[in-house]
Amino acid sequence: MTCVVYANAQDEKLLPVDEQGKFIYYEVVTLKGTTQDSLKRRAINYFKNQNKDVQFKSAQGDTAFIATGKMIITKTLLVMSHPSGEILYRFQVEVKEGKYRFWLSDFSFIPYQRDRYGNFVASTTIGIPLEREPGKLNAGQWKEYQLQTATYAKGFAVKFKQVMASSNPRVESVPEKKVISKNW
Amino acid sequence: MKIKALLFIAALGCTTATYAQESSPLQISGSVDTYYKYDFAKSANINTYFANEQNSISLGMIDLALKKTTGKASFVGELSFGPRGQSQSIPNAAGLYDEATNSFNIQNLYVSYAFTDKFSMTAGYMGTFIGYEVISPAANFNYSTSYLFGSGPFQNAGIKASYAFSDKVSLMAGLFNDWNVYQDFNGVSHVGAQLTVTPVTGWTAYLNVLSGRSAGAPGTGTIFDLTTAYQITEQFKLGLNAADYTVSNDNGGYSGVALYPQYAFTKAVALGLRGEYFNYKGVGTAADVSVASITLSANIKSGGLTFIPEVRFDSDKDFSQGFTKSNGINPAKSASQFSLAAVYAF
Repeated sequence: MTCVVYANAQDEKLLPVDEQGKFIYYEVVTLKGTTQDSLKRRAINYFKNQNKDVQFKSAQGDTAFIATGKMIITKTLLVMSHPSGEILYRFQVEVKEGKYRFWLSDFSFIPYQRDRYGNFVASTTIGIPLEREPGKLNAGQWKEYQLQTATYAKGFAVKFKQVMASSNPRVESVPEKKVISKNW
Repeated sequence: MKIKALLFIAALGCTTATYAQESSPLQISGSVDTYYKYDFAKSANINTYFANEQNSISLGMIDLALKKTTGKASFVGELSFGPRGQSQSIPNAAGLYDEATNSFNIQNLYVSYAFTDKFSMTAGYMGTFIGYEVISPAANFNYSTSYLFGSGPFQNAGIKASYAFSDKVSLMAGLFNDWNVYQDFNGVSHVGAQLTVTPVTGWTAYLNVLSGRSAGAPGTGTIFDLTTAYQITEQFKLGLNAADYTVSNDNGGYSGVALYPQYAFTKAVALGLRGEYFNYKGVGTAADVSVASITLSANIKSGGLTFIPEVRFDSDKDFSQGFTKSNGINPAKSASQFSLAAVYAF
């Protein structure tokens, strides 16, 4: 994949766009002295144990891994808060000797609607590409979704790089059951 | 002394467990709606089930819902105030549809516990699992509602268990009170079930059944209901509701079908049609009567606000609905109206 990323001149808080005009978070990370096999194991560990929101989909050969993920968009006004939608995305990782690259792309928004039981659920199954111009009526709200996605992608990248940098990736801890004994 | 010690240990254990629970923030949501309706015969005529006040800027309801999840347990409490959520749809605290003694009303009041990712149980007063349309205007495309909606249950109090066999199939089964009542005076008298099937992404079908004998009813009422929606493309969605309700010993009931094609021109503008045929079953030797209705609605959204301009035409060949001509006296076989509603959901 040839990845040309353009910075968005309008607002640096938004994600940059690729050559197809689609939002992307793209990063190449060098880890000198780390073998390809080790990076592969760390990536697989990430998919399996580190992030419940990411679902592994397929592998291309021994070095490329594809997953999908989602983040919940929450509307917060003072003390009020409820989910207003979710952003679906594609997450891809490729590893080589001493380096790896990853990117988040194909962001799409699925609005939530309150159902008859008072729960917020997806109102459709087909997402709206996050790059799409929303029109004047929903421009402010749509911009907020784009900003929240950019913030999420940056936070996602930080955590992913931490896992990939660790030679002994931390397995998500399960809270220990505390047994209180009164014997003494 | 030993008992005290055990209670102390138990309390300590509970406290430890409580701290270990994941707690989500309290969710607050709801809606507010208002409407104007103009019937072309200058009469209220179409009364299904809301938006029935002629040539008046009238109220729907304010709806307030709370939800909280702590670990595997959650609750939902939802109250409504205003004609749509009170006298026009559900009983007041005394169990009456009486405007004079009306009070706030409960839309949802239940607790739920998810034993696993696949199995959960819920008890309390819940929006009905029957039918396509609901009381809250924020969850309907059309502002006026169908004959199927008006004739079916609005809420069911009860206890239900839900199990997801896979991403594509799940089953709910439960015991319920009579329709739309907080208390069942002839005991928990209804059984119900819902099979949910998702054959392909975007298409979900609900096969519903609810059966039981309500207090004072002449027979056992059984309703079979199919509610389904298919998001065929990003723009086009097709919904369908079909139901059959029969009260045993030839005590009437109804059957009907409604189709809901909807097309979204943009994220903010969509157009939707509802075509419905509805049949009232005659009691005893009485003949069946039927009505047909077609409703065209637009949804124009800006943030939380949705404008719903709507035109509706109802045909009542059997004069069962009491439509009148513009003099307000002569019966009419049809009625037509325009309405404009504003619904704000938060």
